[in-house]
Amino acid sequence: MSTAESAGGIAFALVQAGKRYGRLQALEQVTLAFAAGTTTALIGSSGSGKSTVLRLLLGLEWPDHGHVEIDGQPLQRADVLPLRRRAGYVIQDGGLFPHLTALGNLALLPRHLGWDRERIRQRAEQLAALTHLPASVLERYPAELSGGQRQRVALMRALMADPDALLLDEPLGALDPVVRHELQDELKQIFGQLGKTVIVVTHDLAEAAWFAERLVLLRQGAVLQDGTFRDLRERPVDAFVSRFVAAQRRLPEDP
Amino acid sequence: MHRLRSAPILLTACLLLGTCLPPAPAQAAPVRIGSKQFTESVILGELALAGAREAGVDAVHRRELGGTRILWRALLDGEIDAYPEYTGTLTQELLKGLPANADVASLRARLRPLGIGITDSLGFSDTYAIGMRDDVAARLGIRDISDLLRHPGLRFGFSNEFMDRGDGWPGLRQRYGLPQANVSGLDHALSYRAVASGAVDAIDLYSTDAEIPYYHLRTLRDDRHYFPRYDAVYLYRLALEQSAPGFIGVLRKLAGSIDEDAMRAMNARVKLRGVKENVVAAGFLGIHAQDHEGGLWKHLLQRSVEHLRLVAISLGLAILLAIPLGILAARRRRLGQWLIGLTGILQTVPSLAMFVFMIPLLGIGTWPAIAALFLYSLLPIVRNTHAGLVGIAPELRESAAALGLPPGVRLRLVELPLAMRSILAGIKTAAVINVGTATLAALIGAGGYGQPILTGIRLDDVGLILQGAIPAAVLALLVQGLFELVERRLTPRGLRLEARQ
Repeated sequence: MSTAESAGGIAFALVQAGKRYGRLQALEQVTLAFAAGTTTALIGSSGSGKSTVLRLLLGLEWPDHGHVEIDGQPLQRADVLPLRRRAGYVIQDGGLFPHLTALGNLALLPRHLGWDRERIRQRAEQLAALTHLPASVLERYPAELSGGQRQRVALMRALMADPDALLLDEPLGALDPVVRHELQDELKQIFGQLGKTVIVVTHDLAEAAWFAERLVLLRQGAVLQDGTFRDLRERPVDAFVSRFVAAQRRLPEDP
Repeated sequence: MHRLRSAPILLTACLLLGTCLPPAPAQAAPVRIGSKQFTESVILGELALAGAREAGVDAVHRRELGGTRILWRALLDGEIDAYPEYTGTLTQELLKGLPANADVASLRARLRPLGIGITDSLGFSDTYAIGMRDDVAARLGIRDISDLLRHPGLRFGFSNEFMDRGDGWPGLRQRYGLPQANVSGLDHALSYRAVASGAVDAIDLYSTDAEIPYYHLRTLRDDRHYFPRYDAVYLYRLALEQSAPGFIGVLRKLAGSIDEDAMRAMNARVKLRGVKENVVAAGFLGIHAQDHEGGLWKHLLQRSVEHLRLVAISLGLAILLAIPLGILAARRRRLGQWLIGLTGILQTVPSLAMFVFMIPLLGIGTWPAIAALFLYSLLPIVRNTHAGLVGIAPELRESAAALGLPPGVRLRLVELPLAMRSILAGIKTAAVINVGTATLAALIGAGGYGQPILTGIRLDDVGLILQGAIPAAVLALLVQGLFELVERRLTPRGLRLEARQ
């Protein structure tokens, strides 16, 4: 486990996986593989099924059809807790527990795994340095943190037990542009350093292209195009892809 | 299908009751005397108590337990050992198929198979009677009801109940062939004043009413034996013949010793002069009243202990059961609806009825009262625990799951702390309701602040009512304050910060 960083993460795959919520078909039968150690961005408008993919991969939801594979093995219900401990998960608002301090949030899983206080503190400080978070902030409650600090703490929480994979669902979606830009840089750096399997969900094409070589564009629960940013821009499979690419606003040219 | 689904609920209900079953009562317990909720019965209870103590028998008096049915059941179930009753009540209400004027010997034969003994008449009968001002009756030469036949012009004022009942005025008129036409309905409370002022000439009354000597009234002899006899007797458990023979001796000695005048005088001292029942009883027996009452503060302390015990035990048990039930309800939607529905139904049972329902199940006294209060405290806690857990933001729930923590750890470290506010608010609501409702526990002999309220209502003594009502109100406020403190201590700081934003 401790050599996981160099071992290159977890290989995830959806095999013919379909998911419906009531009358809404969130995901058609999708087959999609994420090789160990790679970074992939899932893009698409809201409701396209991006988040559902992550939730299926972590066993937070179960497909109505098809199945999920982890390192080539079908995911069983009994495997879910160990899998989740090997995979960090960050959501849009961080999902920090308001009744615990930042450090309390970080310590939740390690304490359950039997880490002592000192080990938890050391790991927290190490991650604070990685995410450029002042260590003093760790004593604060989520309500006392800025949006950017909250996302950093959420990322640290996901990284505490040194997982083999990171799944991020719009991790920067709720941040203002300056903080967002700053964190985009940091995240990219972190992804590069860790060598884990990273899957990041975003609706922002530029952000997706910044993080990942491979972009997967979803629409209405189906994979529309799977390729590089360049593929999407130069060889769009249909008009929707062109429109999606074109819709990313550029700054106005100087007169 | 439906039956199967309700099985766990029935089971839960049985468990609820099971938790509260009282421990078997200790064997060397004192003799327990009960009394009904009116002055004469309490005095007779005090007489038995004072007599027992005088004879060196350890005894307690559970005063004002309730009405006939409650005392009768309590005696049959062995919750009490003895209480004063009336022969007419036995023949009319409690035993079937006896003539209305059955004598004590035939009652004794009927009661023996039930394990119950009966003394001879105490010496008076508390029955309907016709009363007139003594001076008027003397002037007209009226001693018996038949004498009224000679005075057709007399004006009668009867209570509405007496006017309507078959064994009241209609039957009386028929039996004696009374000619009077000027008969009006009156409120019983007013009738004494009406006859005293001369507005009417004769009224109905109970033969031992305290007001009879006070207003100088004469009760007319029922010379044609129209009214059924309501001879006062003591009923007791025959088991006492082995366990406390001395006590039966005391009861037998009281038999035949109290005539109507004596009973009336005792009723009057309590009701009209505000003397305490135990003092009146001791005075009758010619002994010094044992001060088992104590001063106001001692009283207050004793009632506070009783009241707090009722509240603390019932609330504690309710918390222990209701929080797990609330968690279960939040986990299993369908079962949750059933659970909340069931506890909701418990809540709709009027509190008075809830206490009375406990009697056939658990008898009288502290434990049945605790059981009733316990059932009453469940709903707010179950509902708020459920609401607190269900109200947790789905992303927080999911974040906890995504960390890879097992469900039990998630519940303990994340979900319960997040629901804590709501749960504590539920406990607070339950506690405040509990303090108020516990005043009714006195109805089934559990004491507490309700006791002086009950006695106060019976004696129409506002001061006594306030002795119960004020501490109960203060306790409710204290409990509210205490739980607000606890809430502040137990609500995680982070949640308070969040709420402030």
